Amino acid sequence: MGLVEFAAAKTLASSAVFLFITVLLIAAARRTATCIALFTAQCLVIMAQIIASAFLYHSSGVLLVAALVLLVKVLAIPYVLLRISRRLKVSQNVSASTTPAQSVFIVAALILLAFAVVQPYARAFALDSEMLAAATAIILTGGFLMVSRKKALMQVIGLLVLENGIFLAAFTTTFGMPLVVEMGIFFDLLIWVLLMGVFIFRIRETFEHVDVSRLRQLRG
Amino acid sequence: MTLWFPLLFPLVSACLLLGFKNPRTAVRAALGMGIIEVLLLGFCGWNVWVHGVLQQGKYLRADGLSLLFLINLGLIFVVVLGYSAGYLKHIPKGRFSSSRWYYALLFLFLFTMIAAYLSANLGILWIAIEATTLASALLVGFYNTKGAIEAGWKYLIMCTVGIAFALLCTIALYLAAVRSGIPAGRALDWTVLMTAAPGMAAAHDLLKLAFVFIVVGYGTKIGFVPMHSWLPDAHAEAPAPISAMLSAALLNCAMYALLRLDAITSRAIGASFTHGLLITFGCLSLLVSVLLMIVQRNLKRLLAYSSIEHMGVVALGVGIGGPLGLFGALLHAFNHSLAKTMLFFTTGKVRDTFDTLRMDRIRGMARALPFTSGVLIVGGIAIVGLPPFGLFVSELFILMAAFSRHQYLVAVLMLTAFSIGFGALAFHFLRMLSGEPQAAPGKAKLLASEVAAICACGVCLLILGLHVPLVFSAVLHHAMAVLQ
Repeated sequence: MGLVEFAAAKTLASSAVFLFITVLLIAAARRTATCIALFTAQCLVIMAQIIASAFLYHSSGVLLVAALVLLVKVLAIPYVLLRISRRLKVSQNVSASTTPAQSVFIVAALILLAFAVVQPYARAFALDSEMLAAATAIILTGGFLMVSRKKALMQVIGLLVLENGIFLAAFTTTFGMPLVVEMGIFFDLLIWVLLMGVFIFRIRETFEHVDVSRLRQLRG
Repeated sequence: MTLWFPLLFPLVSACLLLGFKNPRTAVRAALGMGIIEVLLLGFCGWNVWVHGVLQQGKYLRADGLSLLFLINLGLIFVVVLGYSAGYLKHIPKGRFSSSRWYYALLFLFLFTMIAAYLSANLGILWIAIEATTLASALLVGFYNTKGAIEAGWKYLIMCTVGIAFALLCTIALYLAAVRSGIPAGRALDWTVLMTAAPGMAAAHDLLKLAFVFIVVGYGTKIGFVPMHSWLPDAHAEAPAPISAMLSAALLNCAMYALLRLDAITSRAIGASFTHGLLITFGCLSLLVSVLLMIVQRNLKRLLAYSSIEHMGVVALGVGIGGPLGLFGALLHAFNHSLAKTMLFFTTGKVRDTFDTLRMDRIRGMARALPFTSGVLIVGGIAIVGLPPFGLFVSELFILMAAFSRHQYLVAVLMLTAFSIGFGALAFHFLRMLSGEPQAAPGKAKLLASEVAAICACGVCLLILGLHVPLVFSAVLHHAMAVLQ
């Protein structure tokens, strides 16, 4: 076994653990900039995993997907998010409705839940249950971030984390969707982030805050 | 190339329209481009009609179902374009920022919906449906008021989360297809999935789970209760022609995606589960929306809840199934889009005259705005499903299907909901129409283009109510053949 294959196999074997660490850290983070950095780290782990499986299964087409992840998720989206967060000039606090300790506890519970949920499907389709659980846990964490963080930017990050989970689920179950579809999804995601940026600035201009839980004009 | 032209032309026009700085020329250019686009769509539709199915390349495909929805979209788009030309003149300068952006986004919105109808592939369909949200979000928040921004934000967040679930189930379907032996490059194509669906029964549990996500995901976009909360906000805060576009075109677009996926899943695991789920969501949407209609205070929110009601009816028609139910459902989606467009068109004028859409503050509309009031009455009669308008016929078909397939409970529920909906609309409309107008300011009259747009909807509804034309009925049957 060559060194590259060895490294690739090790990366694949350990990436689930790294992913669990990132979701737990995101739950504990108090500042938006930390969350953005952790999101980037998560995307990097996913990218490493894609490259590793490309080497291991000798499918060079997958490398294109890895390049897409690098361009869109590791570089473009964090850059846009950081710019938004800097130009907003509001406090960096994520304003969570749960304390960091509670959040970590909840996310840990979500990870356990994810493991329990995916077992039957992993068995039925002969899939790697750890990776599938990691994907599910990321999806659940994304949802949890969206409901528990009040800052507008944190909702964006929450949804991006959720989408990361869906992407990972697609990759672990089917080795990724056709390339055209993946590209379209990435494009949509990028436009979505930009649009959310536009709306965040508009919210700040008209409401003079970016606390989404205080948007309650429209009822009934 | 027949499919590429109508697909790409709106995209090109959207870019070109941004170049028109003068609002007047922008309006004219948009009208011209709209007419060209509709001609292209008509040509494309004619070709689909003649050939039955049109496939171009790997990713573009149009069949009977696409044809029906493309006709619907084309019709609504023409009317909206005609109405917008007049509407933009009424709007005070401060509220409406720029007509070129308005039209560019409108064409972009059209492009995404056409892409959804012409895609041959589940993945591309998902991308297109997500793109409809992105293209219309800025239109929803166009007025840049507090309410509009909140509505736009909520719309972007809720629909994207919903659609993300739809992506998850698209992946599950892809997994099931690949495992049943379909080559990975083709495992997202409609036609391949439709033929291979019976062989996917091994993944029964997975497909069941996937279908729940499909209904929740695309259902968010359709506005099924309880995922509907973005819908009244977005409809109420958007400019009137955009509300019409959302209600009449966007909801149908999401419904189209649901119909396709329902057909595939029903083939794979049997219709009892899928249709049961649709009936559940349909009944829930129907009942909750008519009850909420009673307590509404804003005219546009009232109309938005009525859209949820009618989407529930369409879901019930599909869920009850059988040729009669499906025929009724497709016809109902078409009819509803016409009636709702007409009603939303009146709201522009109401707001213009009374400076509010609060129904409790509007009095004496019948005297202040005779024509608009007439349209409101006609549209109201149509939307509650009274003859001689199209919705009566389609609701009757669905009810007949319910009785003939022994779904008595559903039929009773539908009849109850219709009566409540009728009561709510009659109460709100009559209260606005009656009484003395409180010194209604004499504002500009309706322009010819607005009147023409409203009348076109009314005439179509009347024709469909008196007798479904044979050609149109054939189109509907083609669409049904695709789904069965």
